[in-house]
Amino acid sequence: MTSRRNFLKQSLLGATGSLLVPTFLKAFENPNAFAETHDKILVVVQLSGGNDGLNTIVPYRNDLYYQHRPSLAVAADKVLKVSDELGFHPALAPLQGLYDRGYLGVFNNVGYPNPDRSHFRSMDIWQTASPERYLQTGWIGRYLDANCPGCSVADQAIELDDTLSLALKGDNIKGLAMKDPRKLYNAVHHSFIHEVAQNNTAATVNDPTLHYLYKTLAETVSSADFLYQKAGAPSSGPDYPQSDFSKKLKTVAQLIHARVPTRVYYVSMAGFDTHVNQQAQHQRLLQLYSEGITAFVEDLDKRDRMKDVLIMTFSEFGRRVAQNASGGTDHGTANNLFVVTKHLKQKGFLNNTPDLLKLDNGDLIHQLDFRSVYATILDRWLEVEPKKILSDAYPTLDFI
Amino acid sequence: MNNDPKTRHFLNRAAFGPAPGLKTPVNTPTWIKSASHHRPIDVIRKVDGTVMLPDQRQPKDAKARRARFLDELTELNTTWISQMVLPETLWREKMTLFWHDHFACRVRSAFLSQQLNNVVRREALGSFGDLLKAVSKDPAMLQFLNNQQNKKNSPNENFAREVLELFTLGRGHYTEADIRNGARAFTGWAFNPKTAAFVFRPRAHDEGPKTFKGKTGNFSGDDILHIILDDRQTAQFITEKIWRYFVHEGPPDEDIVASLAKDFFHSDYNLHKLMAAVFSSSWFYEPRFVGHRIKSPVELLAGMLTQTGGRFEDPRAALFFQRALSQILFQPPNVGGWPTGTAWIDSSSLAFRMTMPALIFKNLITEYVPKDDGDANNATNKAATRNLNCAVDWASLAQQFTKASTGETLAVVEDFLLATPTTAANRKLVATQAARSTRDDEWMKQAFTAFMSLPEYQLS
Repeated sequence: MTSRRNFLKQSLLGATGSLLVPTFLKAFENPNAFAETHDKILVVVQLSGGNDGLNTIVPYRNDLYYQHRPSLAVAADKVLKVSDELGFHPALAPLQGLYDRGYLGVFNNVGYPNPDRSHFRSMDIWQTASPERYLQTGWIGRYLDANCPGCSVADQAIELDDTLSLALKGDNIKGLAMKDPRKLYNAVHHSFIHEVAQNNTAATVNDPTLHYLYKTLAETVSSADFLYQKAGAPSSGPDYPQSDFSKKLKTVAQLIHARVPTRVYYVSMAGFDTHVNQQAQHQRLLQLYSEGITAFVEDLDKRDRMKDVLIMTFSEFGRRVAQNASGGTDHGTANNLFVVTKHLKQKGFLNNTPDLLKLDNGDLIHQLDFRSVYATILDRWLEVEPKKILSDAYPTLDFI
Repeated sequence: MNNDPKTRHFLNRAAFGPAPGLKTPVNTPTWIKSASHHRPIDVIRKVDGTVMLPDQRQPKDAKARRARFLDELTELNTTWISQMVLPETLWREKMTLFWHDHFACRVRSAFLSQQLNNVVRREALGSFGDLLKAVSKDPAMLQFLNNQQNKKNSPNENFAREVLELFTLGRGHYTEADIRNGARAFTGWAFNPKTAAFVFRPRAHDEGPKTFKGKTGNFSGDDILHIILDDRQTAQFITEKIWRYFVHEGPPDEDIVASLAKDFFHSDYNLHKLMAAVFSSSWFYEPRFVGHRIKSPVELLAGMLTQTGGRFEDPRAALFFQRALSQILFQPPNVGGWPTGTAWIDSSSLAFRMTMPALIFKNLITEYVPKDDGDANNATNKAATRNLNCAVDWASLAQQFTKASTGETLAVVEDFLLATPTTAANRKLVATQAARSTRDDEWMKQAFTAFMSLPEYQLS
């Protein structure tokens, strides 16, 4: 198998000649560069809009839950019961399968102090891991910065989308956004862009800002070539459900099977802002989510790659405990968070059930800071010093 | 055509780049005069003398309301983009954009957004003190920073905190106690949601003594703003921000900034004088400050329209580009405003920026899908058009720019479009691209599009 470093040397020096950017190559000669043998992969799934956690993991024994949601609560006889107190929304049957196999960990009451109920601010807080300050970098971007000083390897973190989220932007390194390798390849091989990249090396550009632009361009082209060469052909993996979300996960699996050295994948799914007539919409979204995740896990398991993968699912906030007058729910606070991996030391429900007696103005009070989950994943899965990335120390947890 | 490098740099920073129709020699005094021209945006009207505020908890007409807010936000947004490129208001619009970012505010109501935008536009080149006072009493800002909830018995510190941290003094120049006491002074500052007018609610106001920045008294909100303006640090903070936006994003030249800040403070915060001092200085035109600024998405878009005189066939195209590049007017990510500099540029945004001219001028089709921000009530998530075409009078541009030889013409166009010269290799590439067409207008279109697709065009 062509190693990444050799591939770059071949393709950049040999085939496309002057495309090579010296500072770019140095990144791969840097002994601190991401080791190709390091196989642990993080997949982040973002449910945009604020998923209704209480109707996702249902406290079906709690009378208060039914009092607060007279027409929206999931009836106890419909709940897929897995503990004395909690069960899954019926659309999550596939996810229950992962639970039964010991792949699923669920944290309840995850949040942060002084919760913000605005979508964009709360999403930024989760993506920057900073409720206190407004930052221009995200936690995965800072992971890229910290893990590989001096190098610039955009495809170490890939977002399956046309635009790049703040989460994947570091000061020096930013992740790569793309829908699939073929589209990216076609986009940058649009003759003009490619020729500009080929004609100009960042080395010849003295101005630091312009240098940054040409460096970014060269990286984009080389990443596109690399990913296309490695994983350009659609995989002949198992069938996925028909949805945009599943399509993105299928592409992630394709890249993982092709053993590209990407450490973090970022996938999002929108539509969870269910203010009005929530029931049908939420049912549909949970079904798309759980079917997609399950197909993804099966695909990876079949070729023994699931052992290298951890999937974390979050949403920017939960909904209010009580339903509103439109058959929906409004923006709330603490929420559940899922971890799917074969390496769980603790399985199933990993902390307390939501406390519906002690509410803050009708909202759940968070019991676990999300930065503790990030810190644990950074420390025990991606194996980097979390403090470098989160700027403060947060207690790590024992689930992996 | 005025292709003097100093004029170009001035227009790149004080406006959105040189415009082809702008024939008068541009010097600072005429621009200062032109800046007095002030044109409010007035597309969102009250209905029966009342402002309709969005309220998601009214299911009956929720759909109709959402549709209306979609239309209004789109109209407000695209109207401003069109107004940015009017030759007679260029400078004021650029200043308005600067303050739109400094006093970042995001509310659902297009009417309130428009009202704040007009306040900022009116005061953009006047006294910063007046601007600060007007913005602090503006309903959109009071709403956004929760001052409606700031009451004597349950103070909300959000407004006071952001006024100190982001609008005036900056971090490190106040204490948490200053925020608490400042918040108490702002209790009772509110607005009437029906009329969208500021109201002071005496019963909600905390009349007790407050200690703020070392002074003690029964301060009102106005007193707090005066104390803040009496602090030279406010002049320093604002001058630094102006420096980073209009002069250079790197570390400021401390001597120059200190001297500007001093004059700014003693001029009673006269913004006109401050900006004139910047643009009429000799250092402003030094190579170290030319062509190093990464255009924000709105600057890039407004620049492309300004420099071609183009108009979108469907004005909603402007919204598509703002979404695709993550800077939507009236929807800053938070009260800290938009990111700056290299934060705008990643693999996908750069590739998109380089494709953008072809989408606008050559009818190239894109499958690019901007992100949904998750908010079911954010009308702009749904506002999409696939007609990204822009009508440009290429024949007239060909007439203006064509010289005796192709080489000369390309040089003139390059000077006009790029803040700093590009490489010989890129010039050749542009020439090849342009040579595909023999007709003058088509040739000019190809040349403009190619130059605008270069990384160099991302800089001003």
